[in-house]
Amino acid sequence: MSATESPPLENAALEEAAYGDERLAYRGPLLRLLTRPEIGALLGAAVIWVYFWLVSDVFGQAAGAANYLDVAATLGIMAVAVSLLMIGGEFDLSAGAMTGATGMLVILLVIPPGEFGGAGLSLWVAIPLTLAFALGVGWFNGTVVEKTGLLSFIVTLSTFFILIGAKLGFAKLFTAKVIVEGLDEGSGYDFWVKIFGAKWTRNDHIFDGRDTLFGFLMVIGFAAVFFGMLELSHTRRERFNATGLIVAAAGIAGALYGVWGLRHGFGFVVGASTDTVGSNWLYAAALALGVIVAAVGIGVWRFERVSDRGSFSLSGTSLRNIAIALGVILFGSFVAITLDSSSEDIVGFMLTVQGLRAIVFGFGAIVGVTLPVLVARKEGKRSPITKFVVMTGTSLVIVGLAFLIQSEATSRKFRAEVFAVLLLIALIFFVAGLMPLLFQGREAAHPAADRLGKMLAALGIGLFLGAVTIRLLYMTSEEAAATQAVFNYRISILWFIVFAVAASLVLMRTKFGNWTFAVGGNKKAAREVGVPAARTKTILFMTVSVAAFLVGMLLAFRLNSVQANVGNGQEFLYIIAAVVGGNLLSGGYGSAAGGALGALIMAMSFQGIPFAGWNSDWRFLFVGVILLLAVLVNNFVRKKAEEAE
Amino acid sequence: MTAPLLEMKNISKRYGNIIALTDITTYVNSGEVTCILGDNGAGKSSLIKILAGAHQQSEGRLFVEGEEVMFDSPRDALERGIATVYQDLAVVPLMSVWRNFFLGSEPTKSFGPIRWIDTEAASRIAKEEMAKMGIDIRDTEQAVGTLSGGERQSVAIARAAYFGAKVLILDEPTSALGVRQSGVVLRYIIEAKHRGLGVIFITHNPNHAWPVGDRFLILNRGRSMGDFKKDEITRDELIMMMAGGAELEELTKELESASAGDEKLADMAEEFAEELEELEERAEHPD
Repeated sequence: MSATESPPLENAALEEAAYGDERLAYRGPLLRLLTRPEIGALLGAAVIWVYFWLVSDVFGQAAGAANYLDVAATLGIMAVAVSLLMIGGEFDLSAGAMTGATGMLVILLVIPPGEFGGAGLSLWVAIPLTLAFALGVGWFNGTVVEKTGLLSFIVTLSTFFILIGAKLGFAKLFTAKVIVEGLDEGSGYDFWVKIFGAKWTRNDHIFDGRDTLFGFLMVIGFAAVFFGMLELSHTRRERFNATGLIVAAAGIAGALYGVWGLRHGFGFVVGASTDTVGSNWLYAAALALGVIVAAVGIGVWRFERVSDRGSFSLSGTSLRNIAIALGVILFGSFVAITLDSSSEDIVGFMLTVQGLRAIVFGFGAIVGVTLPVLVARKEGKRSPITKFVVMTGTSLVIVGLAFLIQSEATSRKFRAEVFAVLLLIALIFFVAGLMPLLFQGREAAHPAADRLGKMLAALGIGLFLGAVTIRLLYMTSEEAAATQAVFNYRISILWFIVFAVAASLVLMRTKFGNWTFAVGGNKKAAREVGVPAARTKTILFMTVSVAAFLVGMLLAFRLNSVQANVGNGQEFLYIIAAVVGGNLLSGGYGSAAGGALGALIMAMSFQGIPFAGWNSDWRFLFVGVILLLAVLVNNFVRKKAEEAE
Repeated sequence: MTAPLLEMKNISKRYGNIIALTDITTYVNSGEVTCILGDNGAGKSSLIKILAGAHQQSEGRLFVEGEEVMFDSPRDALERGIATVYQDLAVVPLMSVWRNFFLGSEPTKSFGPIRWIDTEAASRIAKEEMAKMGIDIRDTEQAVGTLSGGERQSVAIARAAYFGAKVLILDEPTSALGVRQSGVVLRYIIEAKHRGLGVIFITHNPNHAWPVGDRFLILNRGRSMGDFKKDEITRDELIMMMAGGAELEELTKELESASAGDEKLADMAEEFAEELEELEERAEHPD
């Protein structure tokens, strides 16, 4: 070949450069999961839920969930659609006004003609007509943006003003009021109210086996996630070792015995008697030991022994970090013990003594646990033994914190539930440190193991969600007898879930989804390879207005009336939810699930603030802080993700 | 002998009163690389646009496998199996490798009423096709923006080859790349040639053209300075014809400044410097 005559090409460096980059480190499915756009929002939602659960009595219960899910549903349907459009590189400022406009239009079409009067149509005609109107507005937005090349920001801003003007004008013109009402006068109402206005009253659904089923699903779910994680992070043996299976079975039996005992004896989680504390320790120990034995058994059964345990050593920075961690924990604990837990005295700007105590202790605990885990991750790559020592130490610290909370806290929630959760976390940390000491971590993809691991993890998460859903939907007869309050879940929550799942599937798994990313990421390139860019964007605008139609129907069937100003100004909340969910403002990156989680975060903050006993005037301050944090976290996560490549 | 894959005969192009190209004749065979060399303004981009179907020649004739053609649009050229990889590559940096690879032509499978993208097949094919180009993409979920310039080029080349291109037109694929990455791209060109594609490699760098080319067309101010087979011209003549070795000098300097702390690069820089001296000597005292 003639190329051999060329000295520059023959250079070994160029040869090497041509064949893959061996410096590329293996990134397992777990690490890759962290680069998903919505992961920041998922963590944020978890943190906010835990926070309000700690400070409020109602928030963590079904009543609280019904409350914030209701707000999240209508916000979320729009946020998901707006996320898709934002990924496609455009904005729709008319989205908020559209929700009110469609709701109003359907009522005007239905109410009987009179002095002012409407069109007197059946809902069977009015609803399709309204849908056609929504599609038309979306098509108009998209077409104007595409044909003129103007910014969607400006085009939809004018649609926004047109809509709010039309809403107010037509409301006054037809009904002489700023509110249109009387949806229930339309024919076909009985059918359509089931589609858009149905409710699920929790008090009417009694299921006494609920907690047993809940516990059962949670335990199976935990086991599935646990096994899945092990499978994802360890190297498989060439041939499985049946002895391990026996050990694992023994461990699982022990753990189940522990769970059964805790459930039927005192139970950290459910029930409240305290007379059998001694036997509780026995069951808890059985549970912990069972989990550890099961993990080791699974390891012996499936995974390779570790080849090099390394020797214990900590770098200067690691030592410093551990010292800092111990320092803040000791300081936090000291503050928690010395300050009066029930003092309402104000120490400074709106802060009571007990508030200060909680903040200092909580901060100390979080920093004090996070730092050593980061150290263990870093040092653990070289030396499993160091990881084991650091993780075991951390887990002991968590146990210590749990006991401190149990002895110092005033509420039962902290003494029992937080205590139990912390012990469980300590157990998981211990196992996470122990496994790498015994078994070989994975440094290469293994399709079969990856598939099994992912499947199990997904199954486990599905079971968790199922368990929580059952708990939220049903009451036990005991609870029903004890409560006077009646509360409902509206069908909007179901619509929200269906819409978010459908949008995610379309985005991730269809041609249209691929094109959405492409037109937002690099429109010119998308065109060059044959993507119908204009059509894609127009369909995205139409998706937003169909979502607005759906929300409009949900609003209209809720009260059977719609005010002229409904939805105005909400468009910014949709955009904020999309951004909080990890969608890039400039397009090309994000997820529909992120938009849904962003809406959930905002709804939880809005509703959590009054639950926590604060004045709800503060809620926008809260939203602003969350938005800023979300953008910072997203930025950080994305940079980290790109560095990891 | 069979007809060449793509042949141009006496191609001229005028834009109004500006004469961009005059009387250009060359061809590319299957499994060969024809290099089109020229400095800025030599008419390279006009020629690409004609071959890619974006513009039409004012005079002259184009043949694909012996059959005379006239491209009305880029789609025409694509249907004839002529794929052009422009400098901007038409990739979406934030999207993953496999999504970019199949963008616009996603493989689907039906499941129920909706046609889903066959992600497993897409991912596997993208990986295989890249492997054929000699590059191991371990993770096809990786965003294209995180790849190096050369690897990005390879995604575009592999994509064009996979979607049925017989002739690949590469517009300055190495111009924005460093020395190492240029080497990577040159290797893909050789891989493409071994797979039986005809490659038209447009460049202003004779050092990149020489190792891979089978045929060299040199353009200067819209005119052909000659169309040579590899055995009709030497490397030194080619370089002298292009830019008097200025390019090599620059490359040497670049290498020297970049080689601090890198032995391999330093070796290369030395090699280049020696070669440059030799060239200059020969230019001054022709044998």
